[in-house]
Amino acid sequence: MVMTRTEAEDVLFHEAELLDAWELMDWAAMYTPDSLYEVTSPACADPYGADAANTLFLISDKYDRITGRAKRLMKKTAHAEYPHSKTRHMVSNVRVTGGEGDETKCRANFAVFRTKEDNSTIYMGEAFFTIAGSGTDARILHKRCVLDLNSLYNQGRLTIIL
Amino acid sequence: MALYDRDPASLVVADPAKGSFRVHRDAYRSAEVFEREKELIFGKCWLYLGHDSELAKKGDFHARRVGGRDIIFNRDKNGAVGAHYNTCTHRAAKVCRERTGNARTFTCPYHGWVFNSEGKLASQNAKTGYHDDINADGHLDLRSVERLEEYRGFWFVNFNPKAISLYDYLDNARDAIDALMDQTEAKQVILSGEHTYSINANYKLLCENSYDGYHLFPVHASYFDFLRDQLEGTPAAALIDQTLADYTTMGAVRALGNGHAILDSYVPTGRPVAQWLPSFGPEVKPEIEGKYARLVERFGEERANYIATTQKNLVIFPNLVINDILSVTVRIIEPESENRIRVTAWAMGPTDESDTLRAMRLDNFVSFLGPAGFGSPDDIEMLELCQTAASHTPVEWSEISKGFGKSEDPCHASGAPDDEIQMQAYWTMWDRVMNGKIKLEVE
Ligand code: FES
Ligand SMILES: [Fe+2]
Repeated sequence: MVMTRTEAEDVLFHEAELLDAWELMDWAAMYTPDSLYEVTSPACADPYGADAANTLFLISDKYDRITGRAKRLMKKTAHAEYPHSKTRHMVSNVRVTGGEGDETKCRANFAVFRTKEDNSTIYMGEAFFTIAGSGTDARILHKRCVLDLNSLYNQGRLTIIL
Repeated sequence: MALYDRDPASLVVADPAKGSFRVHRDAYRSAEVFEREKELIFGKCWLYLGHDSELAKKGDFHARRVGGRDIIFNRDKNGAVGAHYNTCTHRAAKVCRERTGNARTFTCPYHGWVFNSEGKLASQNAKTGYHDDINADGHLDLRSVERLEEYRGFWFVNFNPKAISLYDYLDNARDAIDALMDQTEAKQVILSGEHTYSINANYKLLCENSYDGYHLFPVHASYFDFLRDQLEGTPAAALIDQTLADYTTMGAVRALGNGHAILDSYVPTGRPVAQWLPSFGPEVKPEIEGKYARLVERFGEERANYIATTQKNLVIFPNLVINDILSVTVRIIEPESENRIRVTAWAMGPTDESDTLRAMRLDNFVSFLGPAGFGSPDDIEMLELCQTAASHTPVEWSEISKGFGKSEDPCHASGAPDDEIQMQAYWTMWDRVMNGKIKLEVE
């Protein structure tokens, strides 16, 4: 069954909650071996249609790197996130845009606040999801984040998960 | 930072007899030193502007800041590559406000002066008030950058009209560029997309880091953990630890003259041209091995082996990095102040590779490189730690002595991959340029 907007929001809010709590292995468990997590490069000419097979993205993680990213970020040797920054994921304007069977397509606006030492920066943009199932069984098959940025000039880097 | 300022003549101190090579931290933290660098380093050295393949069509342009100067890098209607200062000759407004695009003309938004793709003033947007011959001497055309030259598709500018040629400036770095460009009989091109980000650190800290073999294990331990996890259960699993154990005895760092240097090393990530590893999957094995075989035919076993299997981290003095590793990146470091840089990085690849291998090349890139990879962000963290600590402690010197003293001229030395020979070459050149010990000018 395609999810309602409220059901989709529950899934996205749960993901945000795990990320802000740095429960990253639980976050990775929301993904499957066929999943893809992507963040296009701010310089990308067509971030909605772009393909990481022929265009440089910021992030294009298949499952091994989704879990690898989660695992790495929990290590002290992931220097860029040691000590962990504080984050707050705001997810809003959720719209169910389609789907069939047990798959739901939806999009949402996001603003992620990150504080590292005394500096706070914002990653804002829109995320596109394909989600299988619903409720606690929901699995994110595809998440593409498109940043409303032209560069990471203010943010410096993207070491948190959006 | 006047607190720390000292005479630039003594910021680099080398004592070969004692094997000691030290750099005063004012060279990283002093605003006054940076002001001098703008004039002496960025005003006199060849600075990378962009690659020929970024201007595929007539009219293509990129607006870039290089050495603090805003430049339009374009291909004019006749096909010639140009570099013009991005300022109107009327009353200074920026004429090109897009970062990239294709244009037959540039129209200044302020009073409507129009410049053609060669930079010539085509219209003042006024019927009266100007003498017909007001631009007879061309002084109202867009100002061209003083010098613009290319080597194998890499376009550089120099703001000193009397500068030595780019060819001479690059010295032995030409051979390193050849090793990259010779990977294909087709063309090496900049691929779509770029990474642009900032780092709160001095530009020289990123140069040092880009070819530093010494930092690999402490900084990138978590990346090697990831590689091990990926290869677990495959025949290549043992390869990682074995290659890493041999790291300091295989390969070399080599100074290439004029402050340029390269780190040649062996890290088991595989290379699209041309070293296949099981982690690449069987489908690209024939293609990669075919590329290797063709390199042997063209250059002989030894050179082919160098081109194909050596991981190469090249820094061209003062601010261009070309890393030909698990993927190829061209990275420019634009300093904004003594403690902040803007970094722009592109991926490069040959036009004659399969879609699968192209996808793998880009996947390799983002796995390690860039502001969201598993490697570069940890480097960036180190640079910011160095900058903040150097700026907020009174300690005078950084010790860059590893491997020092074996060669007469640090700009032509070589050593083990985890030596600091490359940085000694860089800093020796820096000292020579800053203190007028090398001219870089034709008489
Ligand atoms: S400043 Fe450009 S037309 Fe006046
Ligand atoms: Fe590094």
